[in-house]
Amino acid sequence: MLKSKAFKLVFVGMLSGISYLLMALNFPLPGLPAFLKIDFSEIPAMLATILLGPIAGLAVEAIKNTLHYIIQGSATGVPIDQLANFLAGLFFLLPFAFVFQKVRSMKGVLFGLAAGTISMSVAMSLLNYYFILPAYTLFLNMPQMSIAEVKQVIIAGILPFNLIKGTIIAIVFLMIYGRIKEWLQHKFNVQNA
Amino acid sequence: MIDNIIIGKYVPGSTVIHRMDPRAKLLTIFLYVFIVFFANNGITYFLLGLFTFIIILLTKLPFSFLWNGLKPVIWIVGFTFLLHILVTKEGDMLFRFGFFSIYEEGLRQGFFISLRFIFLIFMTTTLTLTTTPIEITDGMESLLKPFKKFKLPVHELALMMSISLRFIPTLLEETEKILKAQMARGVDFTSGPVKERIKAIVPLLVPLFISAFKRAEELATAMEARGYRGSEGRTKIRQLKWGAIDSIMMASILLLSIILLLLRA
Repeated sequence: MLKSKAFKLVFVGMLSGISYLLMALNFPLPGLPAFLKIDFSEIPAMLATILLGPIAGLAVEAIKNTLHYIIQGSATGVPIDQLANFLAGLFFLLPFAFVFQKVRSMKGVLFGLAAGTISMSVAMSLLNYYFILPAYTLFLNMPQMSIAEVKQVIIAGILPFNLIKGTIIAIVFLMIYGRIKEWLQHKFNVQNA
Repeated sequence: MIDNIIIGKYVPGSTVIHRMDPRAKLLTIFLYVFIVFFANNGITYFLLGLFTFIIILLTKLPFSFLWNGLKPVIWIVGFTFLLHILVTKEGDMLFRFGFFSIYEEGLRQGFFISLRFIFLIFMTTTLTLTTTPIEITDGMESLLKPFKKFKLPVHELALMMSISLRFIPTLLEETEKILKAQMARGVDFTSGPVKERIKAIVPLLVPLFISAFKRAEELATAMEARGYRGSEGRTKIRQLKWGAIDSIMMASILLLSIILLLLRA
Protein backbone atom coordinates (compact mmCIF):
# COMPACT_ATOMS: atom_id res chain seq x y z
CA MET A 1 0.00 0.00 0.00
CA LEU A 2 2.69 2.52 0.99
CA LYS A 3 4.68 1.69 -2.16
CA SER A 4 1.95 2.78 -4.60
CA LYS A 5 2.50 6.23 -6.09
CA ALA A 6 -1.20 7.12 -6.08
CA PHE A 7 -1.41 6.28 -2.39
CA LYS A 8 1.63 8.41 -1.54
CA LEU A 9 0.18 11.40 -3.37
CA VAL A 10 -3.29 11.08 -1.81
CA PHE A 11 -1.79 10.49 1.63
CA VAL A 12 0.42 13.58 1.49
CA GLY A 13 -2.49 15.62 0.07
CA MET A 14 -4.79 14.54 2.88
CA LEU A 15 -2.17 15.24 5.58
CA SER A 16 -1.52 18.68 4.03
CA GLY A 17 -5.25 19.40 4.33
CA ILE A 18 -5.20 18.52 8.04
CA SER A 19 -2.03 20.55 8.43
CA TYR A 20 -3.68 23.60 6.84
CA LEU A 21 -6.69 23.29 9.18
CA LEU A 22 -4.43 23.00 12.22
CA MET A 23 -2.47 26.05 11.05
CA ALA A 24 -5.70 28.05 10.93
CA LEU A 25 -6.37 27.14 14.59
CA ASN A 26 -3.29 28.93 15.91
CA PHE A 27 -2.92 30.74 19.23
CA PRO A 28 -0.35 33.12 20.75
CA LEU A 29 1.66 32.14 23.80
CA PRO A 30 1.18 34.22 26.95
CA GLY A 31 4.18 36.44 27.67
CA LEU A 32 5.61 36.49 24.13
CA PRO A 33 4.96 38.92 21.21
CA ALA A 34 1.55 38.33 19.59
CA PHE A 35 2.94 37.84 16.07
CA LEU A 36 4.56 34.60 17.25
CA LYS A 37 1.73 32.09 17.14
CA ILE A 38 1.85 28.40 17.87
CA ASP A 39 -0.07 25.68 16.03
CA PHE A 40 0.05 21.91 15.60
CA SER A 41 0.44 21.87 11.82
CA GLU A 42 3.87 20.19 12.07
CA ILE A 43 2.29 16.99 13.44
CA PRO A 44 0.82 15.76 10.10
CA ALA A 45 4.17 16.55 8.44
CA MET A 46 5.93 14.39 11.05
CA LEU A 47 3.55 11.50 10.43
CA ALA A 48 4.27 11.80 6.70
CA THR A 49 8.01 11.77 7.50
CA ILE A 50 7.72 8.61 9.57
CA LEU A 51 5.58 6.71 7.05
CA LEU A 52 6.90 7.98 3.70
CA GLY A 53 10.19 9.74 4.41
CA PRO A 54 11.47 13.32 4.73
CA ILE A 55 10.49 14.40 1.19
CA ALA A 56 6.83 13.64 1.98
CA GLY A 57 7.12 15.60 5.23
CA LEU A 58 8.58 18.62 3.43
CA ALA A 59 5.85 18.34 0.78
CA VAL A 60 3.23 18.61 3.54
CA GLU A 61 4.95 21.76 4.86
CA ALA A 62 5.21 23.30 1.37
CA ILE A 63 1.59 22.57 0.40
CA LYS A 64 0.25 23.78 3.75
CA ASN A 65 1.98 27.15 3.36
CA THR A 66 1.05 27.55 -0.31
CA LEU A 67 -2.59 26.84 0.52
CA HIS A 68 -2.45 29.29 3.40
CA TYR A 69 -1.13 32.00 1.10
CA ILE A 70 -3.61 31.44 -1.74
CA ILE A 71 -6.61 31.13 0.59
CA GLN A 72 -5.78 33.60 3.36
CA GLY A 73 -3.26 35.88 1.68
CA SER A 74 -0.59 37.70 3.66
CA ALA A 75 -0.68 40.96 5.61
CA THR A 76 2.40 42.19 3.78
CA GLY A 77 1.13 41.12 0.36
CA VAL A 78 4.26 39.02 -0.08
CA PRO A 79 4.31 35.56 1.59
CA ILE A 80 7.01 36.25 4.21
CA ASP A 81 5.02 34.68 7.06
CA GLN A 82 4.46 31.55 5.03
CA LEU A 83 8.10 31.35 3.98
CA ALA A 84 9.22 31.72 7.60
CA ASN A 85 6.79 28.99 8.66
CA PHE A 86 8.09 26.68 5.92
CA LEU A 87 11.70 27.25 6.95
CA ALA A 88 10.84 26.56 10.60
CA GLY A 89 9.15 23.31 9.53
CA LEU A 90 12.15 22.38 7.37
CA PHE A 91 14.65 22.86 10.18
CA PHE A 92 12.41 20.92 12.56
CA LEU A 93 11.70 17.99 10.22
CA LEU A 94 15.13 17.34 8.68
CA PRO A 95 17.02 16.51 11.92
CA PHE A 96 13.97 14.56 13.09
CA ALA A 97 13.96 12.51 9.86
CA PHE A 98 17.73 12.02 10.01
CA VAL A 99 17.74 10.67 13.58
CA PHE A 100 14.63 8.57 12.98
CA GLN A 101 16.12 6.90 9.90
CA LYS A 102 19.19 5.88 11.92
CA VAL A 103 17.24 4.67 14.97
CA ARG A 104 13.82 3.41 13.89
CA SER A 105 12.23 3.11 17.32
CA MET A 106 10.57 5.19 20.02
CA LYS A 107 14.07 6.18 21.18
CA GLY A 108 14.74 7.54 17.69
CA VAL A 109 11.51 9.54 17.79
CA LEU A 110 12.45 11.06 21.15
CA PHE A 111 15.99 12.05 20.15
CA GLY A 112 14.70 13.21 16.77
CA LEU A 113 12.20 15.54 18.43
CA ALA A 114 14.90 16.98 20.69
CA ALA A 115 17.25 17.49 17.74
CA GLY A 116 14.46 19.09 15.71
CA THR A 117 13.54 21.53 18.48
CA ILE A 118 17.14 22.67 18.96
CA SER A 119 17.81 22.93 15.23
CA MET A 120 14.60 24.92 14.61
CA SER A 121 15.35 27.36 17.46
CA VAL A 122 18.94 28.02 16.35
CA ALA A 123 18.07 28.21 12.63
CA MET A 124 15.09 30.53 13.14
CA SER A 125 17.14 32.87 15.36
CA LEU A 126 19.81 33.14 12.66
CA LEU A 127 17.32 33.42 9.79
CA ASN A 128 15.38 36.13 11.59
CA TYR A 129 18.60 38.04 12.23
CA TYR A 130 19.81 37.94 8.63
CA PHE A 131 16.69 37.58 6.55
CA ILE A 132 13.15 37.44 8.00
CA LEU A 133 13.12 40.53 10.25
CA PRO A 134 14.87 42.70 7.61
CA ALA A 135 12.34 41.45 5.02
CA TYR A 136 9.47 42.43 7.32
CA THR A 137 10.82 45.91 7.92
CA LEU A 138 11.30 46.30 4.17
CA PHE A 139 7.80 45.25 3.16
CA LEU A 140 6.00 46.85 6.10
CA ASN A 141 8.11 49.97 5.55
CA MET A 142 8.96 50.17 9.19
CA PRO A 143 12.16 51.97 10.10
CA GLN A 144 15.24 49.75 10.07
CA MET A 145 15.75 48.16 13.47
CA SER A 146 19.14 48.69 15.07
CA ILE A 147 21.28 45.60 15.65
CA ALA A 148 20.63 45.86 19.39
CA GLU A 149 16.86 45.91 18.79
CA VAL A 150 17.02 42.89 16.47
CA LYS A 151 19.08 40.98 19.03
CA GLN A 152 16.56 41.95 21.71
CA VAL A 153 13.63 40.61 19.63
CA ILE A 154 15.47 37.37 18.91
CA ILE A 155 16.69 36.69 22.45
CA ALA A 156 13.43 37.69 24.17
CA GLY A 157 11.03 36.45 21.47
CA ILE A 158 12.14 34.20 18.64
CA LEU A 159 14.50 31.89 20.56
CA PRO A 160 12.31 31.09 23.59
CA PHE A 161 9.25 30.91 21.34
CA ASN A 162 10.77 28.24 19.10
CA LEU A 163 12.07 26.25 22.08
CA ILE A 164 8.60 26.26 23.66
CA LYS A 165 6.89 25.56 20.31
CA GLY A 166 9.19 22.60 19.61
CA THR A 167 8.66 21.17 23.10
CA ILE A 168 4.85 21.50 22.96
CA ILE A 169 4.68 19.96 19.48
CA ALA A 170 6.97 17.14 20.62
CA ILE A 171 4.77 16.37 23.66
CA VAL A 172 1.53 16.43 21.65
CA PHE A 173 3.12 14.35 18.88
CA LEU A 174 4.29 11.72 21.38
CA MET A 175 0.80 11.51 22.92
CA ILE A 176 -0.83 11.08 19.48
CA TYR A 177 1.82 8.80 18.02
CA GLY A 178 1.72 6.52 21.05
CA ARG A 179 -1.96 5.94 20.40
CA ILE A 180 -1.96 5.39 16.64
CA LYS A 181 1.39 3.59 16.31
CA GLU A 182 -0.04 0.09 16.57
CA TRP A 183 -2.94 0.90 14.28
CA LEU A 184 -0.50 2.20 11.65
CA GLN A 185 1.82 -0.79 12.01
CA HIS A 186 -1.08 -3.17 11.62
CA LYS A 187 -2.70 -1.22 8.78
CA PHE A 188 0.30 -0.45 6.64
CA ASN A 189 2.63 -3.27 7.68
CA VAL A 190 5.35 -0.82 8.70
CA GLN A 191 8.10 -2.36 10.78
CA ASN A 192 9.17 -0.33 13.82
CA ALA A 193 7.35 2.77 12.73
CA MET B 1 -14.50 31.72 11.02
CA ILE B 2 -15.37 28.43 9.28
CA ASP B 3 -16.18 30.14 5.96
CA ASN B 4 -12.92 31.98 6.26
CA ILE B 5 -10.97 28.71 6.57
CA ILE B 6 -12.64 27.00 3.60
CA ILE B 7 -13.25 29.59 0.92
CA GLY B 8 -10.96 32.29 2.19
CA LYS B 9 -11.57 35.66 0.60
CA TYR B 10 -12.90 34.67 -2.84
CA VAL B 11 -15.95 36.66 -4.00
CA PRO B 12 -17.77 35.05 -6.97
CA GLY B 13 -18.28 37.25 -10.01
CA SER B 14 -18.03 37.35 -13.79
CA THR B 15 -16.06 40.54 -14.45
CA VAL B 16 -13.12 40.73 -16.84
CA ILE B 17 -10.73 40.26 -13.95
CA HIS B 18 -12.64 37.22 -12.64
CA ARG B 19 -12.53 35.63 -16.09
CA MET B 20 -8.83 36.28 -16.69
CA ASP B 21 -6.48 33.32 -17.05
CA PRO B 22 -4.98 32.64 -13.60
CA ARG B 23 -1.54 32.42 -15.23
CA ALA B 24 -1.82 36.01 -16.44
CA LYS B 25 -2.97 37.13 -12.98
CA LEU B 26 -0.08 35.37 -11.25
CA LEU B 27 2.49 36.81 -13.67
CA THR B 28 1.02 40.30 -13.28
CA ILE B 29 1.20 40.15 -9.49
CA PHE B 30 4.73 38.77 -9.62
CA LEU B 31 5.90 41.67 -11.78
CA TYR B 32 3.90 44.19 -9.75
CA VAL B 33 5.67 43.23 -6.52
CA PHE B 34 8.94 44.23 -8.18
CA ILE B 35 7.89 47.38 -9.99
CA VAL B 36 6.19 48.82 -6.90
CA PHE B 37 9.73 49.54 -5.70
CA PHE B 38 10.62 51.43 -8.91
CA ALA B 39 8.29 54.32 -8.12
CA ASN B 40 10.10 57.15 -6.32
CA ASN B 41 8.61 60.46 -7.48
CA GLY B 42 5.22 62.09 -8.04
CA ILE B 43 4.64 60.99 -11.63
CA THR B 44 5.70 57.34 -11.10
CA TYR B 45 3.49 57.03 -8.02
CA PHE B 46 0.63 58.58 -9.93
CA LEU B 47 0.95 56.07 -12.81
CA LEU B 48 1.25 53.12 -10.41
CA GLY B 49 -1.82 54.34 -8.54
CA LEU B 50 -3.76 54.83 -11.77
CA PHE B 51 -2.97 51.26 -12.89
CA THR B 52 -4.00 49.84 -9.49
CA PHE B 53 -7.16 51.95 -9.42
CA ILE B 54 -8.24 50.82 -12.92
CA ILE B 55 -7.78 47.16 -11.95
CA ILE B 56 -9.80 47.67 -8.76
CA LEU B 57 -12.57 49.36 -10.77
CA LEU B 58 -12.62 46.46 -13.25
CA THR B 59 -13.22 43.92 -10.46
CA LYS B 60 -16.46 45.79 -9.57
CA LEU B 61 -15.94 44.80 -5.94
CA PRO B 62 -17.22 47.06 -3.18
CA PHE B 63 -14.35 49.00 -1.64
CA SER B 64 -15.13 47.48 1.78
CA PHE B 65 -13.65 44.12 0.63
CA LEU B 66 -10.33 45.77 -0.14
CA TRP B 67 -10.48 47.75 3.06
CA ASN B 68 -10.79 44.46 4.99
CA GLY B 69 -7.48 43.33 3.47
CA LEU B 70 -5.84 46.52 4.69
CA LYS B 71 -7.34 46.55 8.18
CA PRO B 72 -4.80 44.24 9.92
CA VAL B 73 -1.89 46.50 8.90
CA ILE B 74 -3.46 49.95 8.85
CA TRP B 75 -1.88 50.94 12.18
CA ILE B 76 1.56 50.05 10.79
CA VAL B 77 0.90 52.30 7.79
CA GLY B 78 -0.15 55.14 10.09
CA PHE B 79 2.80 54.62 12.40
CA THR B 80 5.30 54.65 9.50
CA PHE B 81 3.72 57.80 8.13
CA LEU B 82 4.06 59.60 11.46
CA LEU B 83 7.60 58.36 11.92
CA HIS B 84 8.72 59.70 8.54
CA ILE B 85 7.14 63.06 9.30
CA LEU B 86 8.84 63.35 12.68
CA VAL B 87 12.26 61.95 11.80
CA THR B 88 13.06 63.25 8.30
CA LYS B 89 14.28 66.84 8.59
CA GLU B 90 15.04 67.76 4.97
CA GLY B 91 13.60 70.28 2.55
CA ASP B 92 11.61 73.35 3.59
CA MET B 93 10.02 73.59 6.99
CA LEU B 94 6.25 73.63 6.65
CA PHE B 95 5.03 73.83 10.20
CA ARG B 96 6.49 74.48 13.61
CA PHE B 97 5.08 74.26 17.11
CA GLY B 98 7.68 74.29 19.87
CA PHE B 99 9.88 71.22 19.45
CA PHE B 100 7.49 69.80 16.91
CA SER B 101 8.21 70.58 13.28
CA ILE B 102 7.23 69.16 9.90
CA TYR B 103 9.50 69.28 6.87
CA GLU B 104 8.53 68.94 3.23
CA GLU B 105 10.72 65.90 2.56
CA GLY B 106 9.35 64.02 5.60
CA LEU B 107 5.77 64.60 4.54
CA ARG B 108 6.58 63.55 0.98
CA GLN B 109 8.41 60.36 1.95
CA GLY B 110 5.84 59.34 4.55
CA PHE B 111 3.05 59.82 2.05
CA PHE B 112 4.76 57.94 -0.81
CA ILE B 113 5.90 55.00 1.29
CA SER B 114 2.42 54.53 2.78
CA LEU B 115 0.97 54.64 -0.74
CA ARG B 116 3.38 51.99 -2.02
CA PHE B 117 2.41 49.69 0.82
CA ILE B 118 -1.32 50.23 0.29
CA PHE B 119 -1.00 49.55 -3.47
CA LEU B 120 0.82 46.29 -2.79
CA ILE B 121 -1.87 45.10 -0.37
CA PHE B 122 -4.66 46.13 -2.75
CA MET B 123 -3.20 44.25 -5.71
CA THR B 124 -2.51 40.99 -3.83
CA THR B 125 -5.94 41.19 -2.17
CA THR B 126 -7.51 41.61 -5.61
CA LEU B 127 -5.92 38.31 -6.67
CA THR B 128 -7.40 36.31 -3.76
CA LEU B 129 -10.72 38.17 -4.06
CA THR B 130 -11.23 37.29 -7.74
CA THR B 131 -9.52 33.90 -8.12
CA THR B 132 -10.50 30.58 -6.51
CA PRO B 133 -7.70 28.58 -4.83
CA ILE B 134 -8.16 25.78 -7.36
CA GLU B 135 -7.68 28.21 -10.27
CA ILE B 136 -4.49 29.50 -8.65
CA THR B 137 -3.29 25.88 -8.27
CA ASP B 138 -3.94 25.17 -11.97
CA GLY B 139 -2.19 28.38 -12.95
CA MET B 140 0.83 27.57 -10.79
CA GLU B 141 1.06 24.05 -12.24
CA SER B 142 1.06 25.44 -15.77
CA LEU B 143 3.59 28.21 -15.02
CA LEU B 144 5.98 25.87 -13.21
CA LYS B 145 6.00 23.26 -16.02
CA PRO B 146 9.46 24.34 -17.30
CA PHE B 147 10.89 23.38 -13.89
CA LYS B 148 10.08 19.73 -14.62
CA LYS B 149 13.46 19.65 -16.34
CA PHE B 150 15.07 20.29 -12.96
CA LYS B 151 13.25 17.29 -11.42
CA LEU B 152 10.62 19.43 -9.65
CA PRO B 153 7.51 17.18 -9.49
CA VAL B 154 5.15 19.91 -10.69
CA HIS B 155 2.22 17.68 -11.63
CA GLU B 156 2.43 15.72 -8.37
CA LEU B 157 2.54 18.87 -6.24
CA ALA B 158 -0.48 20.34 -8.04
CA LEU B 159 -2.41 17.07 -7.66
CA MET B 160 -1.67 16.96 -3.92
CA MET B 161 -2.79 20.57 -3.59
CA SER B 162 -6.05 19.83 -5.40
CA ILE B 163 -6.65 16.82 -3.14
CA SER B 164 -6.04 19.00 -0.06
CA LEU B 165 -8.40 21.68 -1.36
CA ARG B 166 -11.06 19.08 -2.13
CA PHE B 167 -10.83 17.52 1.34
CA ILE B 168 -10.42 20.61 3.54
CA PRO B 169 -14.24 21.09 3.87
CA THR B 170 -14.70 17.34 4.51
CA LEU B 171 -11.95 17.31 7.12
CA LEU B 172 -13.39 20.39 8.79
CA GLU B 173 -16.81 18.76 8.97
CA GLU B 174 -15.19 15.67 10.46
CA THR B 175 -13.38 17.84 13.03
CA GLU B 176 -16.62 19.48 14.08
CA LYS B 177 -18.31 16.11 14.45
CA ILE B 178 -15.50 14.81 16.65
CA LEU B 179 -15.47 18.07 18.66
CA LYS B 180 -19.18 17.73 19.37
CA ALA B 181 -18.84 14.04 20.22
CA GLN B 182 -16.06 14.83 22.70
CA MET B 183 -17.96 17.77 24.17
CA ALA B 184 -20.97 15.50 24.71
CA ARG B 185 -18.61 13.34 26.77
CA GLY B 186 -17.66 16.38 28.86
CA VAL B 187 -14.37 17.56 27.28
CA ASP B 188 -13.88 21.31 27.56
CA PHE B 189 -11.99 22.81 24.58
CA THR B 190 -12.70 26.47 25.16
CA SER B 191 -11.64 27.25 28.71
CA GLY B 192 -9.16 26.17 31.33
CA PRO B 193 -5.38 26.56 31.52
CA VAL B 194 -3.25 26.22 28.36
CA LYS B 195 -1.94 22.84 29.55
CA GLU B 196 -5.42 21.36 29.70
CA ARG B 197 -6.38 22.74 26.32
CA ILE B 198 -3.26 21.29 24.72
CA LYS B 199 -4.11 17.92 26.26
CA ALA B 200 -7.64 18.16 24.85
CA ILE B 201 -6.30 18.28 21.29
CA VAL B 202 -5.11 14.64 21.47
CA PRO B 203 -8.58 12.99 21.54
CA LEU B 204 -9.49 15.34 18.68
CA LEU B 205 -6.54 14.58 16.41
CA VAL B 206 -6.35 10.80 16.86
CA PRO B 207 -9.79 10.05 15.29
CA LEU B 208 -9.18 12.75 12.68
CA PHE B 209 -5.95 11.09 11.50
CA ILE B 210 -7.49 7.61 11.49
CA SER B 211 -10.47 8.70 9.42
CA ALA B 212 -8.24 10.68 7.03
CA PHE B 213 -6.01 7.64 6.50
CA LYS B 214 -9.05 5.51 5.70
CA ARG B 215 -10.31 8.12 3.26
CA ALA B 216 -6.89 8.36 1.61
CA GLU B 217 -6.82 4.59 1.17
CA GLU B 218 -10.25 4.60 -0.48
CA LEU B 219 -9.36 7.44 -2.85
CA ALA B 220 -6.02 5.87 -3.81
CA THR B 221 -7.71 2.53 -4.55
CA ALA B 222 -10.31 4.32 -6.68
CA MET B 223 -7.57 6.18 -8.59
CA GLU B 224 -5.62 3.00 -9.28
CA ALA B 225 -8.77 1.16 -10.35
CA ARG B 226 -9.28 3.92 -12.95
CA GLY B 227 -5.72 3.56 -14.15
CA TYR B 228 -4.01 6.64 -12.65
CA ARG B 229 -0.34 6.60 -13.67
CA GLY B 230 0.97 10.14 -13.29
CA SER B 231 0.93 13.14 -15.57
CA GLU B 232 1.69 11.36 -18.87
CA GLY B 233 -1.33 11.62 -21.18
CA ARG B 234 -3.64 12.84 -18.43
CA THR B 235 -6.58 14.99 -19.57
CA LYS B 236 -8.09 17.81 -17.54
CA ILE B 237 -11.61 18.88 -16.71
CA ARG B 238 -10.59 22.52 -16.11
CA GLN B 239 -8.82 23.88 -19.20
CA LEU B 240 -6.86 27.12 -18.99
CA LYS B 241 -7.56 29.50 -21.86
CA TRP B 242 -5.29 32.45 -22.64
CA GLY B 243 -7.51 35.19 -24.07
CA ALA B 244 -7.08 38.66 -25.52
CA ILE B 245 -7.61 40.28 -22.11
CA ASP B 246 -4.67 38.28 -20.71
CA SER B 247 -2.36 39.51 -23.47
CA ILE B 248 -3.61 43.07 -22.92
CA MET B 249 -2.90 42.80 -19.19
CA MET B 250 0.62 41.46 -19.74
CA ALA B 251 1.31 44.19 -22.30
CA SER B 252 0.06 46.90 -19.90
CA ILE B 253 2.11 45.73 -16.95
CA LEU B 254 5.24 45.46 -19.12
CA LEU B 255 4.59 48.93 -20.52
CA LEU B 256 4.05 50.27 -17.00
CA SER B 257 7.35 48.71 -15.87
CA ILE B 258 9.25 50.37 -18.74
CA ILE B 259 7.60 53.76 -18.16
CA LEU B 260 8.35 53.59 -14.42
CA LEU B 261 12.01 52.77 -15.15
CA LEU B 262 12.25 55.73 -17.54
CA LEU B 263 10.47 58.27 -15.35
CA ARG B 264 11.86 57.40 -11.94
CA ALA B 265 14.11 59.99 -10.40
